[in-house]
Amino acid sequence: MTVGSLLAADLVIAVLEVAGWLGGGAASAARHRRLALGLAAFALLATFARAITITALARAGWWFAAEKVLIAAPLSLAAVVVAGPRLLRGDCSRSRRGVRRAELEWSRADIRSVAVPLLFAGYAESGALLVTVLHGYPASAGAGLLAVAGVVAATAVSWRVLGARPSRVVFRAAVVVAVAALVTGTGLAAAPGAAPAVPHDHQPGDARTAGEATRRFTLTAGTTTVRVSGRDVAAWAFNGQVPGPELTATVGDVLEVTLRNRDIARGVTLHWHGYDVPNSQDGVPGVTQSAVLPGQEFVYRFRADQAGTYWYHTHAVSDVGVRMGLYGVLVVRPAPVTGVDITVPVHTLSGRPLPTPRTEPVGAGVPVRLRLINTDSTTHRYALAGTRFRVAAIDGSDLNGPTPLVDTAVLIPAGGRYDLVFTAPATPVALFVDGRAVYSTGAVSAATGAWPVLDPLTYGVASPVPWSRFDREFTLVLDRGLDLHGLFPRYAHTVNGAADPDIPPQVVRLDDIVTFTIVNRSLVVHPWHLHGHHVLVLSRNGEPATGSPLWLDSFDVRPGDVWEVAFLADNPGMWANHCHNLAHADAGMTLHLMYS
Amino acid sequence: MRKALVIVTTVLLVAFVLQFVFAAVGAFTKPAGEGAFALHSVTGMAVIPVLTLLTALFAVLAKAPGRLVGLAILPLGLVVLQALIAMLANASTDAAGVSTPFGLTIAGLHALNGIIAVHVVVSVHQAARKLAQPAPAGVTQVAVREGEPV
Repeated sequence: MTVGSLLAADLVIAVLEVAGWLGGGAASAARHRRLALGLAAFALLATFARAITITALARAGWWFAAEKVLIAAPLSLAAVVVAGPRLLRGDCSRSRRGVRRAELEWSRADIRSVAVPLLFAGYAESGALLVTVLHGYPASAGAGLLAVAGVVAATAVSWRVLGARPSRVVFRAAVVVAVAALVTGTGLAAAPGAAPAVPHDHQPGDARTAGEATRRFTLTAGTTTVRVSGRDVAAWAFNGQVPGPELTATVGDVLEVTLRNRDIARGVTLHWHGYDVPNSQDGVPGVTQSAVLPGQEFVYRFRADQAGTYWYHTHAVSDVGVRMGLYGVLVVRPAPVTGVDITVPVHTLSGRPLPTPRTEPVGAGVPVRLRLINTDSTTHRYALAGTRFRVAAIDGSDLNGPTPLVDTAVLIPAGGRYDLVFTAPATPVALFVDGRAVYSTGAVSAATGAWPVLDPLTYGVASPVPWSRFDREFTLVLDRGLDLHGLFPRYAHTVNGAADPDIPPQVVRLDDIVTFTIVNRSLVVHPWHLHGHHVLVLSRNGEPATGSPLWLDSFDVRPGDVWEVAFLADNPGMWANHCHNLAHADAGMTLHLMYS
Repeated sequence: MRKALVIVTTVLLVAFVLQFVFAAVGAFTKPAGEGAFALHSVTGMAVIPVLTLLTALFAVLAKAPGRLVGLAILPLGLVVLQALIAMLANASTDAAGVSTPFGLTIAGLHALNGIIAVHVVVSVHQAARKLAQPAPAGVTQVAVREGEPV
């Protein structure tokens, strides 16, 4: 069982447990003896099952189980200790009674007396469940105390409502405990965390060059209407087209791109996704530059010295901006094109898939390079049918010793790129994206849905990790949680329990070797993207990467996954480090890496 | 308080009806973008939880009989469950983000739980109306003696 499904199973069991205890409590309050006992037994069973899932999660990593061990387990224990003995006692006394009628009446009265303990157990488990769902990692005293306050208050109210009132002393004590826990918990939860504001200083570009061949482009962002699958849809576009113009350069050129904003009210920038530019050219509004507002312009300039497949997109209101079409392809080639070299930027515009399928014959023996780009916020599945192929590069970096593959699909994370190469056979070849033919050299019918998926961590030839020391280690635990965004509460996507802008920046020094341990304890995939650097994958879920060195800028951290990656801090500045499901990034999953 | 309980359960019932309407709006919005279920999400995650909390609170404050209080608290639990089911169903996809049969089964529970919840709310509403009706003289006196906080 994967850790991801274990996380889901644990949640399901917790819900059943809560339902069992609360249902048992309600049934006993209504004097349904059998139902109450049945539900309580079920709840007890679920509680033990949950002990197993929590133990398994703790073994998979403390991050997955912290709040469950520290908050849910004590609350469950209290639940079982309070409710268990009362249930057993009820049963024993029943067997002592001889007269059937008397027994029935007695047990009816008796079953009502276990209502409050059962409800208490239900409240305790509900509190624990809410802590997991609304707060998550890391476990905090504040969340624990708020849960206790809720449990005590709910129990006290139930006690009064059910008529079996506790003595004044007990009731007052309960009120005092609840209020104290509430006040302390709120205080601890609301205490401001230390999150230094991100300094934003705009330096002039450090890519001022002279002498090299300069490739000049102008991109004008504006609202427009484009035709997709025979339908006119509203879009935001560079130069009126989606995707924007394909920017190409040869190693040794200098790229100079003038960005103009015609009428995108919320501003635009250009971020060179996967291309490690100097910080001032990175295009993150509020961090490396100000957003380019309507009527303004900004000139980006950098050397084309990293051959590979990249893309560019706006980083201002990036979720909406990219989704609406403000993106395009950037390809840096080591030499002029030989053979067929095609980019396939996959996107979903207003629910319709791009690019438009195309078919063109390619002569047998011609070398073909398909540059697959995923510009959406979710993973896509690409399958190349009709030929053996190799994955020559991932995220712009060439792989070491890629072996030929056949009938194998690749999963490309949001923002990721795979270069597939093959020599055109005499028979037709087709590329399918999520089962839809996007590029073909002729008619191909192939069912690719059942193909195995390539695991890049075991593909190609390994070479040793280039570093022997690691200077700095950071752990990023990805989750969801309630967060106060200004005054509005939101269900944010969080890193280490905080959401942007409250996540403390990661501080490194120039030439540090830095490791990230990225843990996903949420139920959805998070495609991780660090700006300005490529990270080398060391291991996933404790298993070292055994294939070609993987220098990635976008990788899917699936639910329950633990990735260990490392990079050399060689590009000074302030860099965004975020989830490339841009809706998640907008909902808090963004932090920054800065150099001291 | 009893009147307040009737009012809040009425509003809750209306919110539930709208919630079903918004679900249909989401299901039939073309093309099915991310925002298709925005109204459904906001109503389900903000409006309905607040109303169910108020329902439970007013039932307790109105000194309703235990059965009605229990019934009035039930929607709160079902609504939390409903959000959890939606989260699980959304999460149950394969690596490429495509729904799995398991995920769709869970998604089906979202509809069933919604039907159960609306029935419970109807029962609460009816019981609340009965509670608010002027009772026979004797009963009223008892209620007055207990200090009905209206």
